[in-house]
Amino acid sequence: MGFQTNRTTIYIAAAVILIAIIAAALYIATRQAPETVETETETAAETTPATKTEAQMVELKPLTGNVREDIVNIARYLSANGVTEAKYRVHGSGDPNSIMRVYGIVEAAARLNKILEEEGVNFKIVIEDIKFSANADEPAKVFQQSFPLKQEADIIAVSYRWISTFAKEGYLLDITDYANAYMGSELEDYYDSLWSSVTYKGRIYALPQDTEARPLYILKPVMECLGYDAWDIAAKIDSGEYTWKDVMRIAKEAVDKGCSEWGVIHRKGSAHPDLVQFYYAFGGEFTGSDPDKLYLNLEALYKWLAVEYALARNGLTPENMLEWDWAKQIHPTIVSAKTAFDIGGTWYWTEWQTKKYYTDPQTGEQRGLTPEEVKERFAYSLFPAGEPGKSPVTLSQPFVWMISANAGKLNPKYDDLKEAYHRIAFLLILKANDPDLVAIHSIVSAHIPIREKAALLMDDQEFVGKLAQGNLDMFVSDEAREAFVEIAKKTAHPINIEFLKNVTYMLEYTHIPPLHPSYQPLAEFFKDAVDFVLKGQMTPEEATNYVVQKIRADPELAETIEIVGSIPSGWQISP
Amino acid sequence: MSGNPLEEVVSGSISRRLKIVIALALLLAGSPIILTYGLLILSSFSTNMVTDPLLTDFQPTLDNWIMFLRGQITYATGGLERNVVEMTLVTLTVAVGVALTATLVSLLAAYSISRMEFKGRGVFTAGLIMLHAFPGVALIIGVYMIFRIIGDVLGVLGEEFYAIAYIILARAALEVPMAIWLFKGFFDKIPWELEWSALVDGASRVRVWWSILVPLVKPGIAAVLIFTFLAGWEEFIYFYVFLKPFGIDSLPTFIEEIVAAAENYQLTIIAAAGTFYLLPTIVFFVLTQRLLLEAYSGGLKG
Repeated sequence: MGFQTNRTTIYIAAAVILIAIIAAALYIATRQAPETVETETETAAETTPATKTEAQMVELKPLTGNVREDIVNIARYLSANGVTEAKYRVHGSGDPNSIMRVYGIVEAAARLNKILEEEGVNFKIVIEDIKFSANADEPAKVFQQSFPLKQEADIIAVSYRWISTFAKEGYLLDITDYANAYMGSELEDYYDSLWSSVTYKGRIYALPQDTEARPLYILKPVMECLGYDAWDIAAKIDSGEYTWKDVMRIAKEAVDKGCSEWGVIHRKGSAHPDLVQFYYAFGGEFTGSDPDKLYLNLEALYKWLAVEYALARNGLTPENMLEWDWAKQIHPTIVSAKTAFDIGGTWYWTEWQTKKYYTDPQTGEQRGLTPEEVKERFAYSLFPAGEPGKSPVTLSQPFVWMISANAGKLNPKYDDLKEAYHRIAFLLILKANDPDLVAIHSIVSAHIPIREKAALLMDDQEFVGKLAQGNLDMFVSDEAREAFVEIAKKTAHPINIEFLKNVTYMLEYTHIPPLHPSYQPLAEFFKDAVDFVLKGQMTPEEATNYVVQKIRADPELAETIEIVGSIPSGWQISP
Repeated sequence: MSGNPLEEVVSGSISRRLKIVIALALLLAGSPIILTYGLLILSSFSTNMVTDPLLTDFQPTLDNWIMFLRGQITYATGGLERNVVEMTLVTLTVAVGVALTATLVSLLAAYSISRMEFKGRGVFTAGLIMLHAFPGVALIIGVYMIFRIIGDVLGVLGEEFYAIAYIILARAALEVPMAIWLFKGFFDKIPWELEWSALVDGASRVRVWWSILVPLVKPGIAAVLIFTFLAGWEEFIYFYVFLKPFGIDSLPTFIEEIVAAAENYQLTIIAAAGTFYLLPTIVFFVLTQRLLLEAYSGGLKG
């Protein structure tokens, strides 16, 4: 028996080794012939010898703010230096519908190539190794690891919050001068509020890619049960007439009368940075006179925690809210109208349609809501002002296009010609934000457009109609067009587009959490404090002092965070 | 009869009834693990995740496997597929590389320790066990620095093949101490006389090692090959640190990525990915469990 087993094992081991050697050979063979995404016709990368005279005749002129002129000049300059092709790699991430975060660059390259073809310039931009990850932070983590090895993607689409980390390390291309050249043209209609998300220590390190807002959803069935008009409440919140005290009052009324099980459901622990809207709603700011410091307003923090405390003590919000599960508790509670209000995000609107959170009372089937059902069920407003005299707010954490400080490194004569390669990378992210591409991305992924021209296109019935039919003749790149056909057919519903248009105004009220290295640890303290007050383990005052103590216990945070104001005496809030 | 239940179990002198009781107790103790893996495998063949042991959620389909093998992890990726074949090849290459390297090195080292007298042999042998105690992650900073230094000196830091070769060597180094100990056990049991007679006949030390001793420890070689293959197959941290920067995924790093973003993926396809990754481990263990258990409990007879 022992001998048989041993011999069998040796055979198995030998077979595995043989298979693996073949596999290794195959792998090496496949890696030697990497797949390349050609934006137009496919040709091999090549450099051609150029005479010194030719190179001297074409000089790299400053950017003009006109894409056609600039790309032609750069291409002629590179061509005169013997380079006829430039390669770039891109890595994007997000939900499956957010593939514009890579195909935007593929399409941008095709559009630039088309210009060059029209102008008769012998030059081509090739996007190779496009990679898309569903984990939103994946490109940033990989970028961080691969930059020291000079293996990083040239362009990445990730959350803006990585900018401070990467800029500090010198990993990002400073595009301030390039952007300034286009401020009067292509970048003119970008929403002003978004520029702070790409600016670190006064320099621009990225372009916004998309953004979002975090509305307060108001459950119409619950308001009908109470005899209220949900849209009337939304209007009063937007105007500042209704503050958090009013929202709590209505929420309590809904629970007391049995119209809903809960008053206010909000984000859970993993999404805690969203709750900082309370801080802004009570007038808190993180910036001040010293740009290197983060400012913490104790009064705003205390009032935020006091609201959370009151919500939980009155049974309006679950004490363990931060531990609730998205799919089993949070969303099913909202879509089943078991809460009067929900603090959510704009992306919820389509998530409620694509994921099976709703249990049909007739059939017992778990399914997504239809667009019509979502519209019938929800009204929405800004996040209410904290108290009279304050403004309603919302919060955005934009996705951005970042360019590596080594962008274009795969190309010939990089050290001599890198300025030209960097400029092409900039023009790629600029063109990836063409209004039609931004509008398409917003519609299919339920994000808010980052520029006014894109928002206007979403009003264009012809454009939207074509999109819904899968007619994407605006794309130059076949590959990008094919990628979007099915997604566009499924998502370009008039109700969803109407919703996006309706919430775009929220960007005027948006706050963007600061790009400061000390903000992330501070946000963690906020989360702990919220958890303590929701569970009744601390009073708002104790939780506020807890945050202060945590800051003072860390020498770096104590140095970089300036605490301003004080806990207001005698201030209380209740439904 | 010794009266000791454990000895009775080992000696096989226990009654049939007791055997059944012990088997049932082990089955009960192992049931959470069996159930978890069973549900995972069933989910990979179902349209919904199977979370109910009564299988009320089970609706059979092969779609998950088809989509996973095509590299489609959701139903809407716009043609952006991941290369599962490449990931599998990378993982397999490293696993086999680790197995071969660790086996060869430890086979030579164990022979030396078992048969040759040299200064510091005792300390070295004892030190091997201490080395085995270090998990890969604890050494990662040092291992990364060596990776950078060697890569810089050889001018291959940005090369993919260097990263793969380095992972194989670094991971094999972690397996070598245990493998040496296993092989030393095998060599120690082979009588000196076998070797002496060949040496007296004029054979070299290497020839003796290769022609006489190695054939006698074949079961040990098989055991070490399997151990080290599985260690390479299950490796995560070195793949993540050294290969991910090249944009190359292995099965473990890919599964980590999709699990971290599970809300964006089709869970049943993730179940197929998990099952696929488990296959070699399950297959090897089922086929070789007796051999592995014997090898771990004191070596095999040659």
